[in-house]
Amino acid sequence: MVQKKKWGTKRILPALLLAAAVFLADTPVLHADMPYDTYSYNYWGEEVKEPHSYLYAGMISGKEIGTNLSYPSDLFVTDHALYVADTGNARVLVLSEDGALQMEIGYGKDASDPLKSPQGVFVTGEGHLYVADTGNSRIVEYDRNGNYLREIGRPVTTLIPDGQEYSPTKVVVDGAGRIYVIAYGINMGLVEFNSEGEFQGFMGATQVSVSMFTYIWKNYFSTQAQQDRMETIIPTEYSNIFVDNESFIYATINNLSSEDRAAGADAVRRLNPTGTDILRRLGQYPVIGDLEGVTFGWNYSSFVDVAATDYGCYFILDETDGKIFAYDYDGISLFVFGRSGIREGNFQKPVSIGLGDGESTIYVLDNTLNSIFVFEITDYGRHLLDAIRLNNMGDAQGSTREWEEVLKLNSNSELAYTGLGKTYLTEGRYKEAMECFELGNSKKYYSKAFSYYRKEVMETYLTKAVIAAAAVLFVIWLIRKIRRYRRWVGEVRCYMQKN
Amino acid sequence: MLYAEKLKYVFYVIFHPADGFWDLKREKRGSLSASLTIVALTVFTLGMEKLNTAFLFNNNRISEVNVLVDVITVLLVFTLWCVANWCTTSLMDGKGRMRDIFTAIGYALFPIVLIRLPLVLASFCLTAEEGAFYHIFGFLSYAWTAILIFMGTMMTHEYSLGKTVFTCVITILGMGIILFIGLLFFHVISEMIVFVSTIYKEVRFR
Repeated sequence: MVQKKKWGTKRILPALLLAAAVFLADTPVLHADMPYDTYSYNYWGEEVKEPHSYLYAGMISGKEIGTNLSYPSDLFVTDHALYVADTGNARVLVLSEDGALQMEIGYGKDASDPLKSPQGVFVTGEGHLYVADTGNSRIVEYDRNGNYLREIGRPVTTLIPDGQEYSPTKVVVDGAGRIYVIAYGINMGLVEFNSEGEFQGFMGATQVSVSMFTYIWKNYFSTQAQQDRMETIIPTEYSNIFVDNESFIYATINNLSSEDRAAGADAVRRLNPTGTDILRRLGQYPVIGDLEGVTFGWNYSSFVDVAATDYGCYFILDETDGKIFAYDYDGISLFVFGRSGIREGNFQKPVSIGLGDGESTIYVLDNTLNSIFVFEITDYGRHLLDAIRLNNMGDAQGSTREWEEVLKLNSNSELAYTGLGKTYLTEGRYKEAMECFELGNSKKYYSKAFSYYRKEVMETYLTKAVIAAAAVLFVIWLIRKIRRYRRWVGEVRCYMQKN
Repeated sequence: MLYAEKLKYVFYVIFHPADGFWDLKREKRGSLSASLTIVALTVFTLGMEKLNTAFLFNNNRISEVNVLVDVITVLLVFTLWCVANWCTTSLMDGKGRMRDIFTAIGYALFPIVLIRLPLVLASFCLTAEEGAFYHIFGFLSYAWTAILIFMGTMMTHEYSLGKTVFTCVITILGMGIILFIGLLFFHVISEMIVFVSTIYKEVRFR
């Protein structure tokens, strides 16, 4: 479609109008019952509605499972099973994809050793289940059949004061078997154990950000009485963690103060094994969820969980508005959907998100409704994610095909234009790449494509231009010579006549 | 002298501001009509720049640009400066008449046309990495204009350096005061209109 036609404004405008008309006429009929909008942010930071990427497909609650959940607080999704930390009932449930109960785990070693309000579950590649048994201050490991293997108790260290309670809330295990734990009230970072369960240290502590005003006020101007009443400035704790296929740890932070946010603090991180944040933030806007919170200084998104795909896209769950924010590997917002409310398909208090096989399903656990929401991917979402996935794998042709499909469904997608432009850029079709980047409002890549295009034009025309310039100069030189010669002839003739 | 020659004199003025502005007034080598032509060209340049600069360097949202607003803004600032300058200098022994001020300031705006108009074309040949040149020249045009306005004021009113600086500061304050009084007046008038129309309606509907 693209390579044949020239994309002048005269052609693109009617095309856009037509697409908009088709979109408007089509969508309400298809998804009028969706209890939320799907939108993305354009270059100017405005919310632009777009076709749904995921549709609400129902929920798994007590009826489907056969037993009611009570304040569940964590969900882990493997290829064909859902693991739920049923905190209120002091147990972990293993469900099939459609919600049928497969296994129930309520005890540690034996029946005399029950779990006590477990808040975190994690399943390794081999199928070993790790449970953060919050009330009993321990991590418990089970094999794939639910048999008790071991428990990892309070870390043996002087770094945690004796008086302080150790309450692990979330646990993950990376590819090398290292165990990372978020514990309530411990703000030195993630608690790290080696595969033997020995305490290794803290990892990825958040840095304290203090504004200059606060610093000066606190240290030089406030009285002792004022200082006593001020809240101490401490690093923020992580709210949830997720380990991706490369053993990097995604961590969310949800209790940032507005001062932290103004200072540009991160709300999500990707930690490498040394604890350094390596999340790519190349988008026009920071990875902080809703932009209006940044613009107006209220209603910030509050991230409670994150789930990442194998190709670097990640989905962040926001507690404030019950939204799910999807970002690509560059930290560019893909789409936003979901809403808190009282309609069916709205969240009350979402706490955990999990991705089904190939991202075709998203599961969200709701703490108040005691159920798991199921969202299914649409064609639009499929094309969008596939385009990014194929591009990540280096399949430019496949990626181009998918981006074109995305554009058919949403001709406003700056993301698709930019993605398409990138594939043109690698194929060396610079002029088309430039047009795409202009439509996608991507100045960085436009500049790149333009520099190649300019070089190409220069190489084509430079020799000709030089020859033409030389020819013109030669003609001018010749005319001058002839004139001088004529003048000389005239002078000579004049001289001869005088004499 | 002819209009065209007076217009051409601007090239002398921008490169020799002290001498140029002196002769502009004393020797009558410039004219108000030529000056207003340059103002019109400036307005045109700034409009062109907003609408036609290449994608890479254009941070305006074309669909949101209202050229009329920009035209009025430029003309308003120009007129305000001249009027405020006249108000202050006539109290401070300035030798320039209103006409002289308008002429001088008009001529002083020429670097904007001279640099920014070609920059619109140049923007189509530059990548983002070379954008520094674009921005430096853009800054240069404004700096040059500012210097010319300063020199123009100095020569027109036969001031010393220090007094010119002082006058310029007062002029900017004066612009603010004029704006304030203008808005106040506008508001009062609209209130009065509402008052009269309300009375008319009350009488009418009794």
